[in-house]
Amino acid sequence: MSDAVTQRKPGVAAAVGAGPRVPTFVVAAAVLAAAGFAVPWLIDSQLALTLMTQAVIYAILATAIGFMIRQNGLTSFGHAAFFGMAVYLMALNGKFDAVPAELAVLAAIAVPAAFAFLAGLIIVRLPALSFSMLTLAVAQSLHELMLRWRELANGDDGMPVRLPSTLFGVDIELFQAPSTMFVVCWVVLVAVIALLTLVARSHFGVLTVAIRENEERTRYVGYHTLVPRALVFALSAAVGGLAGVLFALYNAFATPGALHWSLSGEALIMAVIGGPHAIWGPALGAVVFFVVKDAVGDLTEHWPAIIGATLIVVTVLLPQGVSGLLARFTGRRAASKP
Amino acid sequence: MIQIINGLVYGSFLYVLAVGLVLIFGLRRVTNFAHGGFFMLGAYVSYAVAAYLGFWTGMVVSVAALAAFGVLLDRFVFRPLSSEEPIVTLLVTFGLLFVLEDAVRTIWGKNYISVAAPEALAGSVTIFGSQFPVYRLFVIAVAVTVALGLAIWLRSTRVGLYVRASSVDPVTTGMQGVDTDRLSALVVAIGTGLAGLSGTIAGPLMALSPSMGGYIIIDCFIVVVTGGLTSFTGAFVAALVIGQFHNLGLVYVPEVASVIPLLIMAVVLGLRPQGLAGAGK
Amino acid sequence: MTAFALEGVGLTRRYGGFAALDGVSLELEPGEIRGLIGPNGAGKSTLMDVLCGRGGPTAGRVMFKGRDISRLSAQARRRAGLARSFQKTNIFPALTVREQVALAARMAETDNTDEVLDALGLSELADRRAADIAYGDQRRLDLALALVGRPSVLLLDEPAAGLSIKESIVLALLLKELASSWNVTVLLVEHDMDVIFTVSDRITVLNLGRVLAEGTREEIRGNPEVVRAYLGSSIE
Repeated sequence: MSDAVTQRKPGVAAAVGAGPRVPTFVVAAAVLAAAGFAVPWLIDSQLALTLMTQAVIYAILATAIGFMIRQNGLTSFGHAAFFGMAVYLMALNGKFDAVPAELAVLAAIAVPAAFAFLAGLIIVRLPALSFSMLTLAVAQSLHELMLRWRELANGDDGMPVRLPSTLFGVDIELFQAPSTMFVVCWVVLVAVIALLTLVARSHFGVLTVAIRENEERTRYVGYHTLVPRALVFALSAAVGGLAGVLFALYNAFATPGALHWSLSGEALIMAVIGGPHAIWGPALGAVVFFVVKDAVGDLTEHWPAIIGATLIVVTVLLPQGVSGLLARFTGRRAASKP
Repeated sequence: MIQIINGLVYGSFLYVLAVGLVLIFGLRRVTNFAHGGFFMLGAYVSYAVAAYLGFWTGMVVSVAALAAFGVLLDRFVFRPLSSEEPIVTLLVTFGLLFVLEDAVRTIWGKNYISVAAPEALAGSVTIFGSQFPVYRLFVIAVAVTVALGLAIWLRSTRVGLYVRASSVDPVTTGMQGVDTDRLSALVVAIGTGLAGLSGTIAGPLMALSPSMGGYIIIDCFIVVVTGGLTSFTGAFVAALVIGQFHNLGLVYVPEVASVIPLLIMAVVLGLRPQGLAGAGK
Repeated sequence: MTAFALEGVGLTRRYGGFAALDGVSLELEPGEIRGLIGPNGAGKSTLMDVLCGRGGPTAGRVMFKGRDISRLSAQARRRAGLARSFQKTNIFPALTVREQVALAARMAETDNTDEVLDALGLSELADRRAADIAYGDQRRLDLALALVGRPSVLLLDEPAAGLSIKESIVLALLLKELASSWNVTVLLVEHDMDVIFTVSDRITVLNLGRVLAEGTREEIRGNPEVVRAYLGSSIE
């Protein structure tokens, strides 16, 4: 043990795992992303591809929620706020033609992030319970806003997202055909997970876990603790916004449902099922969720009740989620416990 | 001026709902995410019963039913999960919210239902030169009664003392021989009963729909957090202020009114993270 | 004349009518190890709090190397070289020993993570999660978090709390050695008199928020007022 200790440079544990070699997770990510390209060849059914594309979009949202839980120890019950914000920003830009669509895409990611950062400065300081309550309140409040402001967004009937014929130089059809859009969303998902893993392993990632573990001591060790946590919230919101952008591109329609607590809830459930301990956990949870939904959803009108019941059961029986389970089976120790 | 009174009306049933949550939190240290669902359930139950047995019976049944529900909630959710992280209880009650909304939609459908005020309170009086419905004054009266009732109960009775002691230090209170489980059941039952009461009296004022829970929870949560999670007075003041400004917003800037409580919350918490009257952290 | 390493000037902290600290003044020479003792409720923890920035004094100033740091945040004080360890073990359970000491080291002047881990006997445990190590090791980890980066002044709040007699003495000697080899000024709060008398150059005695006595070991041991203050209060 001592040898390993003396050979290590100080601070390596806290720094990014990359040395001259490329870290394994980056390689894994590249392989996974490439594998995504193969899927449309293997699967013919447009319906299946549509379902899978939806699943991947939700998986991105769930990943955002899970990241927040992991790095801040805070659970957002209102992540639909960022998702829906992005969707509506795209839709409103389509309506008013304010800026080129490319800029709208960037704004749809940046605005939720900025909103989360500013709100975060106030609410991440609160006890975790208050934070959770307020995320729900904020998201629902935005939902009401879009519902009532009919003049702006047509209320419950929703509004279309008008898109140009090309986006970032790519034919817009690419984003609307299931086979191609699946690949796009899949690559984005893998890239997001890789990026967040990078962040988690960085000094910033260790710092935020430290704050989560013991905010006071972190201050006494010399760090300011508010801004890092607000930044995590902002990053999580940006990812949520990204999911919203993909949704808007694919469905080309915005409804207040994109801001509703049930959407937040579904994504949260995915994160819980998959377990936020591993950054890829929530994505796995999304897969499980959609498989079950596909199997069961046709049988019943009472899908929401089933969601609720499932959440209850999963939370009580599997606090660490499926990814925690897997970690235990593969014998790999929980590296940095959430 | 009339609008100010309307603001008081809204603040009133908001207070009754919020204080139920404060009670539950004080004892169990968890938030019931399904609280908005209980509000909704209370409204629907009283409506259903009132169709056959009249408004007042409906109200009594509704409160009793919700209180009973609270006992079950405490026994089967809060108590067994009290040793886990609070997030677990949050998630479970959130799941419950899904179930409740689905149940209501299944039983009563998703369309808006209007509820009439009871006969006895159907008229109006003249206030400040305008006609003002008596029923609305009744709602204010209910809130005041609840506030006073709670204050007296907490301060002057032995059970109230236990509740206050328990919310400050549950462990020691338990060690003193107070049956904290029975106490919790009682308090949670009162908390959910108040949600039912709030739903009942709000019924004639807002249309019933499966989404009313999701609607009211916004202000309810904002009120509770802004007031300071454990403070009854804080909830009272917050409900008054937020109710007032939200209502004014609905009158003058209806499209964006739902955001007003958020702004108030942001200002208060920005200046005082512990809320209006909460204990400093 | 060189400035004092750390100086408290007329520090007062009131809560309503009650004064937890009442005009406490204290001067630490660079490199000195000062013991801080007193019966329960004397104000020792409050003094530590005020000095390290956990809430401000109602009146008085805190001077660090001649600079008035009364308004400085806890973070800024740490970065300037004023570190503190805690009576109730205050570590990061999910991080490994190395991770957290390295984290603390980044904010300090020098990154001597390995040196500190070695000195405190934590090298073997470097890659273990803090939650999984023994209580005594956790106390030393708490100390390591304060010690890393070679702070100029170290405020130690009952570092031997919960340790066995043997562990306490070991810790005391370790402190003494580190303080002298790294030239750290130490203010040490302890109830364990063996530790205090082994380690301290001088001792300050607090009682009821005021300085009761200050002097060398011999002076304090022989001071009848000190003895009376301890006998007259709750037994340790």
